[in-house]
Amino acid sequence: MLRYLTRRVLGSIPVLLVASFITFWLVRVAIDPLARYRHQRDSKRVLAEQRVKLGLDHSILQQWWDWLTHFVRGDMGTSTRTGDSVSSMIGHALWPSLQLLFWATIVSVAVAIVLGVYSAVKQYSIGDYFFTGLSYVGIAMPDFWFALLAIALLVTGPTVWFHLDQPIFYSIGLHSEGVSGLNLDYFRHLALPVLTLTFTSVAAWSRFLRAEMLGVLNADYVRTARAKGVPRRQVVSRHAFRNALIPFLTVTALDTAFLVGGVIITEKIFSISGMGQAFLTALQAGDAPFLLSWFLVTAIAVIAFNLLVDVGYVALDPRIRLS
Amino acid sequence: MVDPVLSVRNLSIDFKTDDGVLHAVDDVSFDLARGETLGIVGESGSGKTVTSLALLGLLPKTAAVSGDATFDGANLLALDEKRLQPVRGARIAMIFQDALTALNPVRRVGDQIAEAIAVHHDIARAELHDRAVALLDLVGIAQPAARAGEYPHQFSGGMRQRAMIAMAIANEPDVLIADEPTTALDVTIQAQVLDVLERIQVRTDTAIILITHDLGVVAGVADRVLVMYAGREVEIGSVEDIFYRPGHPYTRGLLSSLPRLDGREHGRRLFQIGGQPPSLVFLPTGCAFHPRCPFADDELCAALVPDRQPLGDGHRSACHYAATLDEREARP
Amino acid sequence: MTDTLLPTREPLAGPVGDTAPPARSNWQLFRRRFFRHKLALASIIVLVVLMVACFGAPWLAPYKQGAQNLLEGSQGPSAKHWFGTDDLGRDQLSEIMYAGRISLMIGLVVALLSTIVGVTIGAVAGYFGRFTDHGLSAVTDLFLILPDLALLAVAILYLGQSATSIIVVLALLGWMYMARIIRGQVLALKEKEFVEAARALGASRTRILLRHIVPNCIGTITVNATLAVASAVGVEAALSFLGFGIQPPQNSWGRMLSDAEAYATSWSKFYLILFPGLMLFLTILAVNFLGDALRDAFDPRSTR
Repeated sequence: MLRYLTRRVLGSIPVLLVASFITFWLVRVAIDPLARYRHQRDSKRVLAEQRVKLGLDHSILQQWWDWLTHFVRGDMGTSTRTGDSVSSMIGHALWPSLQLLFWATIVSVAVAIVLGVYSAVKQYSIGDYFFTGLSYVGIAMPDFWFALLAIALLVTGPTVWFHLDQPIFYSIGLHSEGVSGLNLDYFRHLALPVLTLTFTSVAAWSRFLRAEMLGVLNADYVRTARAKGVPRRQVVSRHAFRNALIPFLTVTALDTAFLVGGVIITEKIFSISGMGQAFLTALQAGDAPFLLSWFLVTAIAVIAFNLLVDVGYVALDPRIRLS
Repeated sequence: MVDPVLSVRNLSIDFKTDDGVLHAVDDVSFDLARGETLGIVGESGSGKTVTSLALLGLLPKTAAVSGDATFDGANLLALDEKRLQPVRGARIAMIFQDALTALNPVRRVGDQIAEAIAVHHDIARAELHDRAVALLDLVGIAQPAARAGEYPHQFSGGMRQRAMIAMAIANEPDVLIADEPTTALDVTIQAQVLDVLERIQVRTDTAIILITHDLGVVAGVADRVLVMYAGREVEIGSVEDIFYRPGHPYTRGLLSSLPRLDGREHGRRLFQIGGQPPSLVFLPTGCAFHPRCPFADDELCAALVPDRQPLGDGHRSACHYAATLDEREARP
Repeated sequence: MTDTLLPTREPLAGPVGDTAPPARSNWQLFRRRFFRHKLALASIIVLVVLMVACFGAPWLAPYKQGAQNLLEGSQGPSAKHWFGTDDLGRDQLSEIMYAGRISLMIGLVVALLSTIVGVTIGAVAGYFGRFTDHGLSAVTDLFLILPDLALLAVAILYLGQSATSIIVVLALLGWMYMARIIRGQVLALKEKEFVEAARALGASRTRILLRHIVPNCIGTITVNATLAVASAVGVEAALSFLGFGIQPPQNSWGRMLSDAEAYATSWSKFYLILFPGLMLFLTILAVNFLGDALRDAFDPRSTR
């Protein structure tokens, strides 16, 4: 197991390197690091100075390598927008996003499993049709529209209709003014953002799991289990579900990078100061140093999560373990 | 037959399809005596497998099953899931054709055998494991303790089939249904697997239903034979009856198409029954075999489904001319 | 007892008795399976209506694009303005139609481009293998760990926020999905006997690829091209919502929602959020239904 893991970690390093180079190149090309000096009075001199100072006279490969070596040592440079150290900005921004992702993942996986298994076992029932319909809706609905509708119908609406002092759910940030910790206030803030992040995932994953379960339930070895006299419920849980879980994990892992996009949108709408919000602010301000580190940190996080899923994969499927 | 362990009467199975109703099995009847081996023979699509699946209630919900299958005083076909479950794997067990797909790829072989026992008996884990190992040994798998901890993909084809047999006999069932157990195997392995089945049977007096399209297998192992064609029962009798005194044109055709090594037909072309099996949705009127039958006539065979004609003790054939086949003139 | 048990004999010509199963061509089977999907048929109607209304906006819209009328500002849906007006008095129905023109056009063009590029690269990678295949895997793996939306946003910043650059950038990301799928199919088809037979007859590799393998992928290509439209419409909307997509004076449904975001806290303006999003939702839903029906019509063996 350990060997497999180390192999995978080592294998992902080249990918990370190339990914970081591509994003470095893209950001460098999209955001002119000398922009603010171009309109100064003695721009030519300043420009020449800054070129050397910022290392822009070197090749792009060299620039990237310099930046990377600094990054690895923890030096992510300073933001051109705020002047703060990028590493501390990212550190602050990571925490809210991790919370969102944590809750969203748990809820999505749990709900997707319940719905997927139920729909497969009770195929063609009313429940199945209902959830299938719901998942179609979920997949087709853009997440930002869902969020806006949720706010309008669950926050603004009820407050107006029922003349409430305070909305049932909050739509700004993760905590109210001056409040912190794991309490009802926190969950009232979490509810809608997490709902937004989960509903597309749940829609897609539950459909996938349902299809996998159906395939597995029709498999020969499930028929053997039934022929042995294994009761229905155990057939589903011990034979069908365990086998369907394996491809299910693949799909959930693949969707991780996609989830980042969802985080950006969710944090914007719900004013949560996480990595997503930070990205938007940085991009709008042309804050290249921040963006560079942002991309690499995100890529590392995605790979780390994928590795975690891989571990689960190996644990579940002995055919991989023994090859 | 005196006190058969399983008695099937008028079993019919229909499926709904886009093109109409598919008659997979049509009015099949047979008895199975204790400790005997009944071979069910027929081409692909003759309804052999579907028949056995029906006995254990393993058909999909789209199947419409009618008839009677009396086992231990109850009609298996009328039992609901809850009352069938104690029968499956304990009183009636089944071995499937492709052992690779029939075994769960992510669970150890030993665990799967143990599960067969655990589902019906409340026994401690350690003892379950011991029993599983003993069963693997019984079916002739070397190093059974080590093998029990392995996964199906680590077994060879023959070993997998034996493991399936071990799983099926774990609870010493009264009836063992073997669905094409040797089809996917080499001939030498085939012989070994059949040998295992025979030994088991001697040991526990289990009745075996052996489903196959291979007449050679049937000749070596079966006591009685049921021949099926297009979902219908065509002929049934002892293995000697079927091989030496076949009373149905289809059976005769099957036997004629067996290649022989003894020089009797040296130099002659291999025989085959002309034509194709019929669609099970659009069956011919009258006898299902008559379009391909050299003895058929239009008045009777094309018009009327044949009754079962008795030909001897426990031997009957579904042919209008069963009793007079030898004298009958073949049509040109 | 005769020498042989059964004399040889020709079978009676044709099946006797009941009628033989009717022969059906591939096309007929396809049509039959497709038309079973009532939802897909409804979806086609919805999509046709949407496309006619949006692409025909210059002739069909009740008001001109961007026409302000401050006297009628901030009104909810009414007989005069079916979808209401925004605070500058612009008729929302007309805005949606004009915006739909852009959104749908981008969706269709991106899908087309991704399909062409994706099929080409995927087929070459799957069939000729080795270098191209490894290259393809490397590239797709790479973009699996990078967040799509973020990359797209940066790229558009670089290229400028026009419909053209959005199309280019979306297509650049979109071809990978199609390429992967086609590669998989080609790999599977490559092993089939009819390919071996064609080679034995002396067909060149290119000929086999073009005349034998790709035509067998038509089903997959069609289904995924259709679904690509939905995906492209969705991504453009997300980009425009974040502010990195279509800019005024052009409009897209995503942009309209971006403007409407500020009104989420005001119940009376709910219609500003409802209608543009509804158009997006209906488009994507209809396209998905259509894609599913096509998938089933091409190969009914895929599970429901």
